[in-house]
Amino acid sequence: DQVLHIVPETFQQVQYLQLLCSTFMLDLWKPLLPEDIRAGEDLHIRVPAPLVQEVKDSLDQHMISYRVLIPDVQKLVDQSMPRERSSHRQVSGDYVYTEYHPMEEIYQWMTQIQKNNSELVTQHFLGKTFENRTIYYLQISQPSNKPKKIIWMDCGIHAREWISPAFCQWFVKEILQNYKTDPKISRFLQNLDLYVLPVLNIDGYIYSWEEDRLWRKNRSPYENGTCYGTDLNRNFNSSWGSVGVSFNCSSDVFCGSGPESEPETRAVAQFIKNRKSDILCYLTIHSYGQLILTPYGSTTKPPNNYEELIQVAKEAAAALTGKYGTSYRVGSTALILYNNSGSSRDWAHKIGIPLSYTFELRDTGAHGFVLPANQIQPTCEETM
Amino acid sequence: SPAMELPPGHLPAARAAAVAVGYLRYLRGGPARGLELRELRRARRQDIDDVGHKYCLELELEDVLDKDSTVTCTAEVLYHLGSKSSAPDVQVTVQGELRSTEEADKEFYHRIRSLEKELVAENIPDSHGNVPPELEPIHLLAWAASGYITWQNSTENTKLHLAQVKHVRQVKRSDEDLQFDFVVLLHEMVSQEVLPWEVTVLWHPQHGARVSQCHAVGAGR
Repeated sequence: DQVLHIVPETFQQVQYLQLLCSTFMLDLWKPLLPEDIRAGEDLHIRVPAPLVQEVKDSLDQHMISYRVLIPDVQKLVDQSMPRERSSHRQVSGDYVYTEYHPMEEIYQWMTQIQKNNSELVTQHFLGKTFENRTIYYLQISQPSNKPKKIIWMDCGIHAREWISPAFCQWFVKEILQNYKTDPKISRFLQNLDLYVLPVLNIDGYIYSWEEDRLWRKNRSPYENGTCYGTDLNRNFNSSWGSVGVSFNCSSDVFCGSGPESEPETRAVAQFIKNRKSDILCYLTIHSYGQLILTPYGSTTKPPNNYEELIQVAKEAAAALTGKYGTSYRVGSTALILYNNSGSSRDWAHKIGIPLSYTFELRDTGAHGFVLPANQIQPTCEETM
Repeated sequence: SPAMELPPGHLPAARAAAVAVGYLRYLRGGPARGLELRELRRARRQDIDDVGHKYCLELELEDVLDKDSTVTCTAEVLYHLGSKSSAPDVQVTVQGELRSTEEADKEFYHRIRSLEKELVAENIPDSHGNVPPELEPIHLLAWAASGYITWQNSTENTKLHLAQVKHVRQVKRSDEDLQFDFVVLLHEMVSQEVLPWEVTVLWHPQHGARVSQCHAVGAGR
């Protein structure tokens, strides 16, 4: 059984959908009664498995776009039963996006995603972490004879911000599940390529699973192995070491021994430098705070395209709030959060990428870094 | 000098708001009530010669257990000049009523009092953000205690949040209070540090929560 998400656009569509629901006796999840279906409002219907294709064909015929909200209702029911987490779980079509996953499972997920969607997705080597683990990114690209601009998104620069990698995985899943049926997504992919890096700070992420849930930095050793970790988001070559950092390794904002001293930083920087003329937008995903941050962190002096940056961010924040009412603040890091230097977002803007943003996802401090897994879905849905 | 209007979204106002909310959370929080900032509506700042910086705030708060109900409050936060050891002065006025927690408080009180063994727990929430329902009141008490620590230890250059309750141990008492010894982890936004604090909280349905002692725990992680 599948649950479909539809937003009827016209009264005729509403009438048709009401007829569809009563003819097929479909199970309405939202709203509860057919007479409450409205143009411009979310409609969720559960379609029994034997009818799925017929209903979809009928929607296509009537030019009504839909999105598959739940691809397999039974699976979701099964998963909501309490069960043990086994250490060797199969990761394939039944990957659970509403749970946090350890790095091993994320590696397997990337392989499966490429395998199951090879016409669109390719997995690429970006570099190696300090502890010699491979950093991969996924390229989502519709074959075309015209050159396309790139949107880059990285997650997991800071180990403890688990909702960030969860979002990158969700994002990929949403795009792949809906690019054929959602006209917005398919138009998007006709003109743009998406490059998604699900976990940048892999060593740190693993450390936060195994040793210290609130670890932030990477795991490179300093001071003869008595102290570990550079804050990768203070390690980029943008006013490096000037403000909002520490030169002491024991600090959580230690900026490293020099700009790009860390292999993880170099891996990203090198790639982006090489492709910078094609990259339209640089996004980096963090938590928490519910903020859309623009350059800069090191100064309150605004970047040259400040008006445009704020305008786009405000529209994004409004769309985000429209989903579940979650409010996001918009502004430069230096004005609304704190001073910092060496951030990846400032560096990306500095080398010429016009639209460069940091997203700080849910929440505003009630749970902070330890966001409950049951908030993964609403957080990701609103951020999409 | 005269009071200056501040953009509520900007960091000085947000940090002062965190102090006011911490203070109020301590004063009015408990096992059945956790107050969270929904919106900072307005902020003004006044620099008072030889005294310090005073922030006047208009806040909207919500009860995390009843998100539809909100209260407005006005707060004044005075950071003392050049003082690292003196807590900011805070005054708060709440407009309207907070939902009564009498029933839930009584229930929690009797439940804990009738435990045979003293309650002990760790990692609230766990790594995945889960809090077992029976520990939610303990979580909220720790949050109230963290409000006290936030209030007492904030400056204009810091912003503290409770990151996780590392450990809690109930200590049975001969008087009527419940006592919980917590180790809480506080996240400081500007330095990004996670700071462990030991804090002892006394609580009684009629008398509310009181921090009887607290101190920062030793060297870094």
